[in-house]
Amino acid sequence: MTPVLKQARFAIDIGGTFTDFILEDGAGDLHTFKTLTTHDDYTVAIGEGIDRLLARTGITAGEIGQVLHATTLGSNTLLERSGAKTGLITTTGFRDVLEIRDLRMPRLYDQTWEKPEPLVRRRYRRVVEGRILADGTEMTPLNEADVRAAVEMLRAEGVTSVAVCLINAHANPAHEIRVAEILREIWPEVHLSLSHVLLPEEGEYPRTSTTVINAYVQPVIKDYVARLLAMMEGRGIAAPLFFMQSNGGLTPARIAAEQPIHIIESGPAAGVVGASIIGSQTGSPTVITLDIGGTTAKAALVENGTPGKATEFQVGGHVLQVERLLSGGGFTLRVPAIDLAEVGAGGGSIIALDAAGVPQVGPRSAGSNPGPACYGRGGTELTVTDCNLTLGYLNESSIAGGEMVLSRDAAVKVATEQLADPIGLPVEEAVHGVFTLSCVTMIQAIRAVTTERGQDPRDFAVFAFGGNGPLFAAGIAQTLGCPKVIVPPAPGVFSALGLLCAEVEIHKSRSFRAIVGPDSVAQAQAMLAEMAALAEAEAAQPGGRVSVTARMRYAGQSSDLQVSLGDPARLDPDAVRAAFVAEHDRVFKFTAPDDEPVRFTAIEVAYAIPVGRLDLSRRRLPTEGQASTQRAWFGSHGWLDAPVIPRTALDRATGPCIITDPDATTLVPPGATALRTPLGGIEITLPQPAKGPALRHVEPA
Amino acid sequence: MSVSTASTARAPVPEPAGAIADPIAFQLFRHAITGIANEMALTIFRTAYSGVLKNIMDYSTAICDREGRLAAQGLSLPGHLCSIPVALKASIAAMKDPIEEGDILVMNDPYSGGMHLPDIFTFKPVFVEGEIVAWACAVCHHTDVGGRVAGSNASDSTEIYQEGIRIPPLKLHRRGVVNETFMAMMRSNVRMPERFDGDLRGQIAACRIAEQGIQALALSRGREAFVGLVEGLLDYSEILTREAIKRLPDGEVTFTDYIDDDGIDVGQPIKLVCSIRKSGERLVVDWTGTAPQVKGAINNTFSYTAAASYTAVKTVLADGAPNNDGVFRAVEVIAPPGTIANAVMPAACAARGLTGFRMADCAFGAMAKLAPGQVFACGDGGNTNVSIGGWTAERKPYIFVDFFSAAWGARPWADGHEGNTTMFANMASYSTETVEGENGIVITVNEFADDSAGAGKFRGGAAMRRDYMLTEDEAVLSVRADRQSHRPYGLEGGHDGAAGISLMNGRPLSSKFTMSMRKGDVLSHTLPSGGGYGDPLDRDPAAVAEDWLDDFVSTATARDIYGVILTAQGTVDTAATEARRAELRKEAK
Repeated sequence: MTPVLKQARFAIDIGGTFTDFILEDGAGDLHTFKTLTTHDDYTVAIGEGIDRLLARTGITAGEIGQVLHATTLGSNTLLERSGAKTGLITTTGFRDVLEIRDLRMPRLYDQTWEKPEPLVRRRYRRVVEGRILADGTEMTPLNEADVRAAVEMLRAEGVTSVAVCLINAHANPAHEIRVAEILREIWPEVHLSLSHVLLPEEGEYPRTSTTVINAYVQPVIKDYVARLLAMMEGRGIAAPLFFMQSNGGLTPARIAAEQPIHIIESGPAAGVVGASIIGSQTGSPTVITLDIGGTTAKAALVENGTPGKATEFQVGGHVLQVERLLSGGGFTLRVPAIDLAEVGAGGGSIIALDAAGVPQVGPRSAGSNPGPACYGRGGTELTVTDCNLTLGYLNESSIAGGEMVLSRDAAVKVATEQLADPIGLPVEEAVHGVFTLSCVTMIQAIRAVTTERGQDPRDFAVFAFGGNGPLFAAGIAQTLGCPKVIVPPAPGVFSALGLLCAEVEIHKSRSFRAIVGPDSVAQAQAMLAEMAALAEAEAAQPGGRVSVTARMRYAGQSSDLQVSLGDPARLDPDAVRAAFVAEHDRVFKFTAPDDEPVRFTAIEVAYAIPVGRLDLSRRRLPTEGQASTQRAWFGSHGWLDAPVIPRTALDRATGPCIITDPDATTLVPPGATALRTPLGGIEITLPQPAKGPALRHVEPA
Repeated sequence: MSVSTASTARAPVPEPAGAIADPIAFQLFRHAITGIANEMALTIFRTAYSGVLKNIMDYSTAICDREGRLAAQGLSLPGHLCSIPVALKASIAAMKDPIEEGDILVMNDPYSGGMHLPDIFTFKPVFVEGEIVAWACAVCHHTDVGGRVAGSNASDSTEIYQEGIRIPPLKLHRRGVVNETFMAMMRSNVRMPERFDGDLRGQIAACRIAEQGIQALALSRGREAFVGLVEGLLDYSEILTREAIKRLPDGEVTFTDYIDDDGIDVGQPIKLVCSIRKSGERLVVDWTGTAPQVKGAINNTFSYTAAASYTAVKTVLADGAPNNDGVFRAVEVIAPPGTIANAVMPAACAARGLTGFRMADCAFGAMAKLAPGQVFACGDGGNTNVSIGGWTAERKPYIFVDFFSAAWGARPWADGHEGNTTMFANMASYSTETVEGENGIVITVNEFADDSAGAGKFRGGAAMRRDYMLTEDEAVLSVRADRQSHRPYGLEGGHDGAAGISLMNGRPLSSKFTMSMRKGDVLSHTLPSGGGYGDPLDRDPAAVAEDWLDDFVSTATARDIYGVILTAQGTVDTAATEARRAELRKEAK
């Protein structure tokens, strides 16, 4: 049973534009605050938020029991190439693994495509003689003179962080360990990242890339953690600091500083964790999360309260590829992560007609500056937000709590000139077409985590947050045939809320290449026990929950499935095979003959400890906004008078209506009903045709 | 289109497509149908047994209209661009019985519309209200389809009969029931029947998934409206393609290049001639003048020649037009029968991949003449294929099939990439550690060759080298490579890329061969490098210095090719560089 903390907790989420805060007081009440992110030094905005919320609530620094943090620092460091000057020591003959990647590119028929610039230039990739084979035996001994020469060169060049990744180090790390000893002996102050420690798994590119990413961001994160702790200490906050990891678990700050690879996609993960916990608390443990902002839409899948996981993803490129067959847009980071898919479509996405006169939504975006034409800040191109304003889904004071006034006239003008007139439709029909097209474009992110994973989206509710999520959620859900939409409280600061829901979680993985049988299962069991002990030691807190998974395949196959192995104390070969076969059949709809062996490729341990518990019923909602009505266009229904209802005034309403939060607008289409749940969420039930076979590719005409 | 057709154009030339009637409804439909074709591709990716499919992605998926014309293509290899409709139309024509719901057609015969024997096609008719509205299609490169050499991919076969089992268009499923006679026959003739089964199963699963999706889509729009929307897909691509063609200058250009040899008549170059005629919104790619078909197994069937042509044209047009019959209506490809560009029976064609790459290079060269400054120089010439196979001490068969290509030619505005697949094949490479874990092979080198890039104002990509050491007792090695005597061309004064080379324990070999390999033997293969663009003496000296620090350029190359004099620390000696460049310019005159 989770202990209910008596102390206050701070959740802080740094985003591209805003830094969001939630202070949970000792009684469980939630207090929120939002301020502009200070990009030069994130701790300035954080200090301001802490001061403001403490002053507002009268809580003292000494009462803070925990600080939970999500940050974009890791991903920004990679995107902006602002990490440490990094060197790589690798095996002779393999100097260019980092640049060769898997050779593939994410674009076809495009001469202008540019490869991402490697994080370590060729001159700082130094090779050492010595070779371990795949079975762990030594073919050539390590040449220590090579190691010393490499170290001297890198030190002379002013490198401050070194990654070491030798071929087959996952099978036998002896050479890598020796390289590390020499490094520590002659260059004790260097930041060091070792591949067999960070990722003891087969695959030299993902392992090299992951190790290099760690080396590249580690000095930056270490420095940031130190400054953050100093800032907290200066205010008298002695509470432990936890970071959100890409896998949705929290990790102590000292581990984040050593292994920053786990906190690269920290913010998006927090929102999905929040959705999984709040969904479960409100009777919807199985949802598709939909986080739509100004430039992107992100989706993830939560089944029975558990977010879908990926074993690797790409960072440092631009928007994640939805069409994930084509890798190469960024750097591979092989760490467990919530399986998020992203498309470049959001409120700021620009609508343009191609040479055949067919409209496209994004991926170009007007961003927040100049922003959509209706912002009146010099934006001249038609955006999704201009269309929503034209349709009456937004009103002139919908953005930023009414602090910024939008111009509907400007929106209608660009929509008429750039869209309706050229394609020969009345403006409301044309912009409604864009709304539907936006839904279909954003749905690509949902497809990537559902149909591409063998799941039927109609089995899920859509859980929407982010500034634009609640506006598109019902349209997207109707298009996909999902029965229900959930809009949680505080959709605009939802990732901070997610932080308060998370547990500490430590992951360990190892390559394990063996056919499933009595011997290999016994061996796996022993290794898993050892890995669990390591994870527990790292968490420095006993009594956690251990779950074990394996990556497995039919012996003849060349890709893996991740399979939960259940109770690690009671593994047996038949049950392991059965678990794999069941998962394979669920995802791929076929089962190989009984005599086809099943093989392990890797085994994994997750060690989880709860750190607090969020009580949503205690959140105090601000009572803002006034009821009114707004003319809005609903496709075949035409123009209707839609009631505008502040969330706090909502009990039960029938669509069309528009529900407002200070930071988001929820659209309830005709025929749907909206209900405020006891915990403050909005639940929209959509009118559905009877569920027929395989309608998953169909959207309403 | 009949299989012996020499041209993709119909007679008479069709009327250009009109405008898209309802752009928004059309765009919604396009998203939906493209989603289905992509989902097919993902299904194969995730269920495939063999590395050829999973890692190298040598497969394609598509949806064709009821007449067999390509309507939507999933993510796939450019080399498969035109193959599906050609093979499908030939298969439909070959059926003696009526085609019924639940049927799946299968074929691989190059002389019935296929490409080479390892590429097995499956076609599933999609019925709505009792009528065919579309075809779900998949083509996968299978690891082995029998024949004299493991992998069925040897470049030194001289007749199709040596290359493996030929499947004429047949029914693999008849009204939902699998043809077990066919399956038994295949299992007895391929070296790895489990893998064949597993990969074929993935292919069929993809067709089934597409069938469900297409049926739902057709029902939601109504059958007749669906057919109209599919027609719109073709019109859309045709409009985009024609608009882009209009922007190119009118004219006629011819580019000539050579394949080193066919591996049988060693040292006998094979001529490729690509002429492009462009006027208004029409473009013709004509291979007349290309060498007659050869003895070695590098003969193209017509669809592969067309794919190489379209890859070059599409890349330069950069019009974003989805691949379908609409593109083919705007761009005509001509290839005379009996040439290496359009071989006839009984030419061997297993290793025709090589010719496709070379033809793509040649078509890019012609486009560069038509539109100077818009096209890159020649890359490494496409992938080398290395196959190592045999029997382990326990009498178990093993086959390791590797394909890799890695260097782009320089672009008129930037250096060419190294360590990146060429345009004609977006293939992934294997992990060295995985290869070593699964095969009796140690990869001892997998990196760029120092000082190898074709020089220029913008340089080509550096060459890539990969060495293989055998740890099994013995194996049969077959290598299909090229550009060892005809180097990748540079443009506008840029130097040619370096030639490729294969060495066995240090001894040079020819570009295409099959030989035995014993324990401890090392095959070292270095691909060619990319050609340069523009005069190397015009290259920014600072860029030369950066390349020197990264070992992409040696001190001698910097001095003698680029005219750049570097200090011991790698900084540019400006005065000495100016003098050296003046000297080199004078020598050149």
